[in-house]
This record gives sequence, C-alpha cells and structure tokens, in this order.
Amino acid sequence: MKAFSDYHPLVLLVYFLSILIVAMFVNNPVIGIFALIGGILFCAMLSKRSETAGNLGFYIPLFFMVAITNPLFSHNGVTPLFFLNGNPVTAEAFAYGIAIAVTVTGVMMWCKCYSAVMTSDKFLYLFGKAIPKLSLVLSMALRFIPMFKRQMHKVSRAQKSMGLYSSKSFIDKIKSTMRVFMAMLSWSLENSIETSASMKARGYGLKGRTNFSLFRFYPRDGILLSVCAVLLGVTVAGIITGDTAFYYYPRISELTLTPFSVTVYTAFGILSFLPFMIEVKEALKWKYCISKI
Amino acid sequence: MKKDLLAILGIILIIAVILNGTEIQSVDEYYLTHIDDITPESKTVFITIRCDTILNNLGDLDSNLLEFVPLDGVILPKTEYVLRNGDTVFDILDRAVRYNKIQMEYQGAKQNSFGSVYIQGINFLYEFSCGPLSGWMYRVDGEFPNYGCSKYELKDGQNIEWIYTCDLGQDVGAEWMNNMGGEEK
Repeated sequence: MKAFSDYHPLVLLVYFLSILIVAMFVNNPVIGIFALIGGILFCAMLSKRSETAGNLGFYIPLFFMVAITNPLFSHNGVTPLFFLNGNPVTAEAFAYGIAIAVTVTGVMMWCKCYSAVMTSDKFLYLFGKAIPKLSLVLSMALRFIPMFKRQMHKVSRAQKSMGLYSSKSFIDKIKSTMRVFMAMLSWSLENSIETSASMKARGYGLKGRTNFSLFRFYPRDGILLSVCAVLLGVTVAGIITGDTAFYYYPRISELTLTPFSVTVYTAFGILSFLPFMIEVKEALKWKYCISKI
Repeated sequence: MKKDLLAILGIILIIAVILNGTEIQSVDEYYLTHIDDITPESKTVFITIRCDTILNNLGDLDSNLLEFVPLDGVILPKTEYVLRNGDTVFDILDRAVRYNKIQMEYQGAKQNSFGSVYIQGINFLYEFSCGPLSGWMYRVDGEFPNYGCSKYELKDGQNIEWIYTCDLGQDVGAEWMNNMGGEEK
C-alpha cells in the first residue's frame, strides 16, 4: 500500500525535506515526539509485518543507548541525582538524552520512509536535468550499499558451491569473507565505471535529450504542496518568534502554551501525520470498494 | 548487520564508562558539610569566584542562564580556606564549591592533552555561554599563570580569583594573550 508515494516527486521531496529539517534542528519535546510518532506510523504502513520485530529489536535498544550516553558525558543541570568521579549526573542530562534519542530515532524513521518512497528514478527525474552529474553520483551512491550486499551474497554462495570455505571454523570464515571482499572491491569499481560508461553511451546529460517519465503534476499534488507549505510556514513562524523555544540546561524550561504555540504544535502534528492519514484514507477506500463489489 | 552495530555501540559505551572510572557518590556525600577549621598555625589561602564581565555582555548570554548570574557578579565572595600540604588551585576550588554547594563541571587531567584539569563551568555558567570567547580563568595574586589549575601548587596566604571572561582574557587583564597564543585554563 503506497498511496503517498504516488504523489509527484517534487511534492514528496519538499515534504520530506521540511519534516527532516524541522525534526533535526528544533529541540522542542512536542515537535520531536510528533515527528517520531508520525515517522513510526508511516514506517509501519510502508514496511512488511515480518520486518517489524527486527526493527523493534534495533530501534528500542538504540533509543535507550542514546538516552543513557548523554548523562555520562554531559553534567550540566540543576538536579544532581548522584556524582560520578566528582562530576554530577543530573536529571536534566537524562531528559536531554531522551530528547536526543527521540530526535535520532524519529529522523532515522523518516529516512527509512524516504528511501522507500523516493526511489532513484524520482530523484533522477527531479535533478537529472539541472545537475546531471551530481544526481547520477548521488543515485549511484544511494543504491550502492544494497547492491553491494546482494552481490556479496551471490559471490559467497558461488564460492561455497565450489566447495571453498565450507567448514565451520572461525578462521576459515574470516578468510572467506576477506576473499569475497577483495573480489567485491574490484567488482564495485568496475561496476561504477560500467554504469557511467553506459549512461554516457545513452547521451545522459546532453542537450536536447528527453526522458520518459510517468510523473504528472495533478491538482491533488498542488493541493498537498500548498497544504505542506502552509503548515511548514506556521511551524517556521513559531520557531522564528521563539514561541516553541525550549531549554533543557541548566533547568528544564516550561512548555509555553499560548494560543499561537498550540497552533504551531497542531500544524506540525498535522504535517507529520499527513502521510499516515493519506495511507489510511486509501486503505479504507480500498476496503470499502471491495466490500461493495 | 544492524545488531552488530548495536553491539559495537554498547561495547564502546561500556569501555568509556570503565575508562572514566566509576566512583559513584550520592548527593549528600559529594557536598561537604564540614571544612577544615582555621587554627592559628594552619596555612590558609583566599578564593573568590566572580563573573562581573557577564554583566557588561548580557546581550551575548544565553537567555535561560540569566537567573544564574548574581546581580553583583560575585558567586563566591573572598573566603579564607585551610591549605593542606601539596594543594593545587583545583583542590581549593573543588573543596570550596563542594562546601558552598555551587555547581561545577570539570574535565579530568587525563581527558585532555594538557595533563591538567580544565574547568568547564561554574554555577551553570559554562565556557561559550556568553559569546564564543568566553570561559573561566584563574589568577593567583593578580597574575594569570599560563598553565592548568591542577598544576599550580599554592603557598601560604596566596589569593586565588576565578574570573569569567567574555573575551579570551582581554577584558579581565590577561596580557599574555597578546603575544602568545594559549589555551585558557
């Protein structure tokens, strides 16, 4: 189910950029939590059920590790809990650690969604004309690691089928990994040269070259883009006026709940839940149509 | 793959904790309730902690730190403390802030390349809290020693001043900054 990814690439790019930048650079707990929950919900819609356990097993320990690291190194704050080597370990540092963990996991969730939604053909469609070289390099770099993993698996299976390194000894495993890795290095260099030569042969980046793409800017794209712009505008206004300013050190500041700041929080909340709402709407429509048939 | 990353992170964290040492004290144990009594034969030194330069540069100060700047700029008025044998400037400061329940954060001597303790913040006023050139400096008997506070061994009757600077020492009269590039300590 990928209703959101059917929107025009430009809209998707603007949307992801605005969410990521706001979530990364604003350390307000409300905004952080909205971004995290929105990211989790959208990610849950995009990924398969079978992946969920693995994801939880990675992100929950990561969350706690990031949260615990901060108070070990940052000793600012008015409420000391205990003293470690003569430096205080404070409640504020714990709170800030949790806030960092929320931001980090939230941004990781959104990046995961980004890579699922913004496929390299969309990226090339957006930037292929304007900055052909950079966009080709970027899209090659982005697909490099998954491709590397796939090819590595292939090579090691080929080695195994030849009867090499099939014993269970640890040293043997290291040897085989080394051998496969060496082969992979030269393969990846060769592959990137081949890709660029092939793109050149197709006249990529030349003047007058046309591309075929299925992306058209429908009215609904315009609606989503303007909704995003308005919501982002309200959020940025809140950040600039300082209504959403929040400090953890040395004393955790109180959340100011003026009518304007509530508006800002609501705007950002809607912005971060937008893809989830679109997915749910489409899912409901699908279900409703099936039941009618 | 992902699990390996997590395991590596966890191991780094544990190593960091072990390397840092794990001397844990409760809040009551940390703050001193009693300090050496001054007797006629004991050696003593004086210590002052001040941040008046911030009052001239309030515009640069992070707005949430305003409540921690005393109105007269004096965090610890000139006080006399007993000098134990081999005490450095840092030992006296450490005892004084523990006795007066003033917050202080420092970087241990082993954690930097100068081999000396570095005072990062006193009373929630940290380095860089008031502009990019701000931080804590100390002077003994009116002179700024150009080295770390845990390397300066004190003598009887000396006068320590911990001063907050907003301009790498220029605003508190540290002349040596003009002819040699150095690290503030």
